[in-house]
Amino acid sequence: MGIETMLYFYGAVCVSMIAFNLIYNTLLKRSQLRLGKRCRRLEARIAPQLKLLRRGEHVQEEHLAYLRHRLCRVKNLIAFDQILRQYLQKEQEAWELRYLDQIQPVILHLALVYQKRSNINAAYFSYFLSRYMAPKHMPIHSIQGILLDYIRKENLYCRVNGLRALYRFGNAESIVTALEIQDEGQVFLHEKILTEGLLTFTGDHRELIDTLWARLGQFSARTQLAISNYIRFQTGEYTGQMLEVLLDETRDKELRLSAIRYFGRYCYEPALETLLAFAGQSDPELWEYATVSVSALARYPGQRVIETLKQALHSANWYVRYAAAASLEAQNVDYESLLGVIAGGDRYAREMMMYRLESGKMQKASV
Amino acid sequence: MMDAFKLFFSGVGVFFILYMIGYASFLFLSVTVGSTTLYQLRRRNQLKNELLQDYYVPVSIIVPAYNEEITICSTIRSLLSLEYRIYEIVVVDDGSTDNTAQILRETFHMRQITRPIHRSIPCKQARAVFEAWDFKVPITLIQKENGGKADALNMGINACRYPYFICMDADSVLQYDSLEKIVRCVVEEGDVVAVGGAVRPCNGAEIQNGRVVSYHLPNRVLPCMQVLEYDRSFLAARILFDRFNGSIIISGAFGLFKKSVVVDVGGYDPNTMGEDMELVVKLHAFCREHGIPYRVRYATDAVCWTQAPEKLKDLCKQRRRWHIGLFQSMMRHRRMLANPKYGLVGIISYLYFLIYELLSPYIEIFGVVTILIAFGLDLINVPFMILFFGIYVLYSAILSLTAFFARIHTIDLKLLFSDVLKAIGLCVLEVSCLRFILAWVRARSLIGYQKKKQTWGKIERKKIHFE
Repeated sequence: MGIETMLYFYGAVCVSMIAFNLIYNTLLKRSQLRLGKRCRRLEARIAPQLKLLRRGEHVQEEHLAYLRHRLCRVKNLIAFDQILRQYLQKEQEAWELRYLDQIQPVILHLALVYQKRSNINAAYFSYFLSRYMAPKHMPIHSIQGILLDYIRKENLYCRVNGLRALYRFGNAESIVTALEIQDEGQVFLHEKILTEGLLTFTGDHRELIDTLWARLGQFSARTQLAISNYIRFQTGEYTGQMLEVLLDETRDKELRLSAIRYFGRYCYEPALETLLAFAGQSDPELWEYATVSVSALARYPGQRVIETLKQALHSANWYVRYAAAASLEAQNVDYESLLGVIAGGDRYAREMMMYRLESGKMQKASV
Repeated sequence: MMDAFKLFFSGVGVFFILYMIGYASFLFLSVTVGSTTLYQLRRRNQLKNELLQDYYVPVSIIVPAYNEEITICSTIRSLLSLEYRIYEIVVVDDGSTDNTAQILRETFHMRQITRPIHRSIPCKQARAVFEAWDFKVPITLIQKENGGKADALNMGINACRYPYFICMDADSVLQYDSLEKIVRCVVEEGDVVAVGGAVRPCNGAEIQNGRVVSYHLPNRVLPCMQVLEYDRSFLAARILFDRFNGSIIISGAFGLFKKSVVVDVGGYDPNTMGEDMELVVKLHAFCREHGIPYRVRYATDAVCWTQAPEKLKDLCKQRRRWHIGLFQSMMRHRRMLANPKYGLVGIISYLYFLIYELLSPYIEIFGVVTILIAFGLDLINVPFMILFFGIYVLYSAILSLTAFFARIHTIDLKLLFSDVLKAIGLCVLEVSCLRFILAWVRARSLIGYQKKKQTWGKIERKKIHFE
């Protein structure tokens, strides 16, 4: 009897799986059709409003009420997104600004509605904002406040999309607050996401960098690293501050390495002594500092630099030798100057230098 | 005497009931979780819950090759058409006896160079290194002494420049967005040391520039059954294991690894046939033993298309090799079995692979032999046995179909009605026939495996047309 019950149970599982497959397939097919219908319905409502805008009139209150009601459903918001995308392909920036400007009250209403929705829907709404909020053109501070609540949600995509939207608004203070919020949360946000995001900021980068730097110590090491990398890609005006970071031995290793990379991008004479010291040291524990410093020295002219790089070619560490050879090649040091290495007795240094020279030639020939 | 037989058969009956309940429950759980995850992923993507930007994570792609003159150029061309910013291609020719290296050198205008390779993992000597810089990304060819696939991969790891590397087979094609998707796992979560990609049989798919332009089930019965088997056994199960960081297999056809951790564990083991599984188990063990926070992930949407064997002989060779690899990996890391120190990996994953993968062919053959003996002794209720078998076939077939359709639906592939019928018919055949044939092959695989444990295990290949 027990076995028969079990067989019936598995039979029931089979039947329910078949039903699941059939129902899902049907729903899937229908969902495409429904999306098409929703798009047509919305388009029919939006087109007359566009005509009004072209005549210099305003979007009708009735239309705003319609959007306020309809777009509370995420499926309609997807359809709205599709329509806007189609229009944006056809029309120019001016249309986008005018229409989106006038539906600001709807957006504000939706921001409050989606704030209470599930994370997946909230993340979609913040994506929508990031896509359609014209840079620095929607000074609705309350939306920015609400977006900060989205970033508080313990969900990666809510955070990423929320931050994207805030970058579009271009308000430095909101960005700093958002970074502080994400730093306090439990959700991991890779420093690459933060750096790439900060680079898309549409406001005044100078102001943002100043504000971030002033509060750098409050952030976690990961966020500090992201900020440092962002500054490196954005401006060469932070040499003094970066040197302070580099010299501060209590700072996180990755942050100090990022500071060295900064000096590899922007030459700064006062940093040279430190770079040379790192490049010349032979402590195996500090090989990363040596490698990055040797790479950074590729941009610094002078005989001392070349001698240090030649010396680094004899390092016991493979990566230091590789970076030294690459830097010497980048410095366009002539063959005669390298004769001591190439004809020298250190096979590792010789092979590395020869490789870089040959490889460099091949790369130049391929350009 | 008869009483003793009856007692024995009732004992066997109880064992198999428990065994089948375990298997059926796992299958149900994996297919349900797998399908649900795929549907959720589709919904998430629809609602833009995904990382939409490019993140600059440089990746080295290592392609170990042994006598791959037929497919190697197509593979490299497909890699050059990937939509990703920073990557390099490193081909390691493991002492091929055909013209693999020569064809590569001529096709991609490669030039010999004296390149010092940082040998952080032991491997056989390089004979020559060639480089090409005329393409979108640098291509390196390393010709080395023959040492097996693991040794070739270790050479590739030593030679690669970037912090993450991808290992793949020389006869596989990566989908145009596969790098971006597999790297996303690294950016989404901290501490990721390895990510498995979704390996799918390309038989029946038409691929152009890494994109699937048409898809139908293969015309031949054997690869078609493998398509269904891949979805049920690999896709669904790996998604389930991914839920608790319990994946212990990342296919050698497509996986991403963090170089520093792989170097720390000593790279691939050249003394095993299942070097891909052994490495992942080793990573789990290493990270757990050293208290390193880590994550092994499975990227369902990072797709690699590979050729499923079209001949039974080749399929048997492949499964024999997989089973030996499984045996070696499990034996080497047997300390993990039910050991709480290794968390759910030791308790669930290891135990599952031990019972339902490594021992299953022996258990299944024992079951069939017992049925035959019981039949001979007239101790079996034949109608009930047929009903039981029918339910088992129906159950497995439906779960295969569920996993298959979940995959098809979630990546917007369109199937012909004839394909649907073919899938329904062949999944029954796969569960009722192929499974038992492969059980027999796997059961016999350990006989004399010592002799062939370091061979590349070649399978007949066709040229992949992707342009």
